[in-house]
Amino acid sequence: MNINQLVFRNFKKNVKNYYLYVFALVFSAALYFAFVTLQYDPALDATKGSIKGGAAVRAASVLLVAIVSIFLLYANTIFIKRRSKEIGLFQLIGMTKTRIFRILTAENFMLYFSSLIVGILIGFSFSKAVIMVLFKITDTKGIAKLHFSEEALIQTLIVFGVIYLLIMTMNYLFIKRQTILALFRVTSSTEGKTKKISILEIIIGILGMIFIASGYYISAKLFDGSFTSMNALSIAMVSILASVILGTYLFYKGSVRFLLNLMRKSKKGYLSINDVLSLSSIMFRMKSNALLLTVITTVSALAIGLLCLSYISYYSAEKSAEDYVPNNFSINSPKDAASFKNALNQKKIAYTEKKIDVIQVKANVKSILENDLKSPMVDSSAMTIPVISEKSVNGVDVAPNETLFTGYNNMLQKAMPFKDSGRIELKGKQKVIQQKFVGLNRKFLLSIYFTGGGLPTAVVDDYVFNELKHDADPAIQKESNVYTGIDISKESDLQKANQLFGEMKFSNNSLNDSRMDMTINQKQNMGLIMFIVGFLGLAFLITSGCILYFKQMDESEDEKPNYTILRKLGFTEKDLLNGIKIKQLFNFGIPLIVGLLHSYFAVQSGWFWFGTEVWTPMIIVMIVYTALYSIFGILSVLYYKKIIKEAL
Amino acid sequence: MNVLEATNIHKSYGNKFNRQEVLKGVDITIMKGEFVGIMGASGSGKTTLLNVLSSIDKINGGMIKIEGNEISRMKEKQLANFRKTHLGFIFQDYNLLDTLTVKENILLPLSVAKTPSAVAHKKFDALAKQLGIYELKDKYPNEISGGQKQRTSAARAFIHEPSMIFADEPTGALDSKAASDLLNKLTELNDKRSATIVMVTHDPVAASYCSKVIFIKDGQIYTQLYKGDQTRKDFFEDIMKTQGVLGGVQDEY
Repeated sequence: MNINQLVFRNFKKNVKNYYLYVFALVFSAALYFAFVTLQYDPALDATKGSIKGGAAVRAASVLLVAIVSIFLLYANTIFIKRRSKEIGLFQLIGMTKTRIFRILTAENFMLYFSSLIVGILIGFSFSKAVIMVLFKITDTKGIAKLHFSEEALIQTLIVFGVIYLLIMTMNYLFIKRQTILALFRVTSSTEGKTKKISILEIIIGILGMIFIASGYYISAKLFDGSFTSMNALSIAMVSILASVILGTYLFYKGSVRFLLNLMRKSKKGYLSINDVLSLSSIMFRMKSNALLLTVITTVSALAIGLLCLSYISYYSAEKSAEDYVPNNFSINSPKDAASFKNALNQKKIAYTEKKIDVIQVKANVKSILENDLKSPMVDSSAMTIPVISEKSVNGVDVAPNETLFTGYNNMLQKAMPFKDSGRIELKGKQKVIQQKFVGLNRKFLLSIYFTGGGLPTAVVDDYVFNELKHDADPAIQKESNVYTGIDISKESDLQKANQLFGEMKFSNNSLNDSRMDMTINQKQNMGLIMFIVGFLGLAFLITSGCILYFKQMDESEDEKPNYTILRKLGFTEKDLLNGIKIKQLFNFGIPLIVGLLHSYFAVQSGWFWFGTEVWTPMIIVMIVYTALYSIFGILSVLYYKKIIKEAL
Repeated sequence: MNVLEATNIHKSYGNKFNRQEVLKGVDITIMKGEFVGIMGASGSGKTTLLNVLSSIDKINGGMIKIEGNEISRMKEKQLANFRKTHLGFIFQDYNLLDTLTVKENILLPLSVAKTPSAVAHKKFDALAKQLGIYELKDKYPNEISGGQKQRTSAARAFIHEPSMIFADEPTGALDSKAASDLLNKLTELNDKRSATIVMVTHDPVAASYCSKVIFIKDGQIYTQLYKGDQTRKDFFEDIMKTQGVLGGVQDEY
């Protein structure tokens, strides 16, 4: 039998064992190809042009390459480990290592590239669906066509070719390093034995928790004004990342083992079947699992965090448009308002109009700030804010010496929080009026043209307003001092009115806004980012789930003899399966819970940059993620069930 | 009193077209407190016999009763329950769980039977001291020698005081010193606890520790030897002679 025959026979025989590897390959090839096809799709050019998504897509595809290669390399390690006996046997009958390597390479080549082709075909047929999803999210009109892109094909082939070389290098190193003896033993020797608890381990465990806690603590402080310079902010961010990731690793390495050890010690050697299958098996592998669990936790935290943030911004697109544009249309100059109203009248579109007189006033808000501002950009003793009369606001009545703030941007609110009450000064050109600050309302009344990008609007008594108006400092006044908000009475007319608004010729630099346009714009911007992040998040989810699942498959094969013994001892399949369920709850649950916790803190620290709603979108994302992730846990239990059944 | 009664048991492997009969009507009775050896050449069916007697494998025909329970008709769940309470196992390759310490391994059968933990610890202490592995109780299987592993395995088989203990080539992987140690311990347990032991072996020395040796040839019982009042040395000579007639692989001794 010559070497070619050997390769071919080996290939035929091994295809059965390879299914895991083949699945990993087909899946990642399909994923990558679908994404790259998208990148080169002419249909995306339209979206790209309008919202500059090209760079985002490219960055995402680089990230995808990283995920895919880690995933494939991991699948390969499990796979080569399974075949270590065969490699040892070849060596035993006198084959050189180079020759074995050549056989493996040839065999792998056939397998790798045939599954790559299958993956590309699947990815191709899948890409249409992907594009349709993208269009739906971004509200882009257009029909997705099935378009085969040659550039995408070439790029995919190059990337996977490089990964193939990487895998081969890894296999080469693996074969080179091994002796015949070690190859035969590889399955039993990969895991070290469990040591007794040392003080060091306790310290490591406690350190891990401290690291995580301090990371969370800094993240909570991140945007509340403790870090004012950009430098300090970026240092804080990096240190959060570092301490949380390191803490997670130490947590798995020390704390989990320590806690489990305590539990085990308390049983004094008298373990129930559930303990045998969960506790001892987890501890036995904790050493090698620590790194893997850390990677998976970090990846899931990243995925959940990103998904939450993008969904928050998408979810609150309408809400934040409402903040920026308080009415259906906000028009900043009376002239423009008049011409728009004319146009509306001509088309017989019913509307209501709201006019608000606005003046800009310098306010001293130093005493109501929660913390001192060190930033030189904002002078808290003379902050220019818009002031309106209580008459312009329905249902608000303030005393002559009182001022109410309303509509304060979320982001600024985090950076410069106000106290509930205090004293402020409103400065006219000559006079300074002392006022009592009575609180902050949520509602926005003026467009960003007047609020300077999100500063609160001060509502004062009509008398005070007039006084300030006479005494207004012309240097800080805007070109216009009347805000006109127009609301269309009938929902059905809104589309028409919006079209009309778009066709209007307004005077320059008046920054009139339509809320509808704003919402669509927001959705398009965030839609593409959300799509990319969602795609990556899904890829993260599936790969981390698969890695855990593969790991469990591998473990179950290793533990099969144990199940045989246990069943001979008289445990039923059901007993064993109950223990396995506990074990899987731990194996899948712990990284999920820690990942959720990490992402929760990440989202809490910065969500206000992305939108106005946090709870609903965050909880939705977390629930969906958990549900998808649990599928892998359930699959692994089913796999164990099969193994246990076969064990006797 | 008979602990085990097997009548006319048949066992075959393979499918309709390619059938291989391994056991062709074997009858065995084992009394309480006996130490029985099963010998035979490779392929004679001795391990299969042990497997069906110990309920790990199903028979195709015949009947097996242990303490009056007909195990050949039991369902999988009942069997598991039966093994839990009535049977103990010692294997050639020890079959210890690598993830558990010596003590945890030994106490495993008690946890199946839900024995109170105080009783369990007492039983463990007594048995482990008897087998000389008490000092190893917190070690993991990969930290101890083959003989120690086998004694751990024996302790696990004895701990729940089963009515029968099945041993498959228990000395197969041991050196002669460790083997004789183990066999002495088994004899001791057999005497003191009047445990019934069935041991498959191809080593005549190991077989000479038994009180009765059953020879299997081609799936049938060839003959049975009783030790009676002979010394172990005489019994050994008998076994050697029978083995010579049987035509197995002979040792020059």
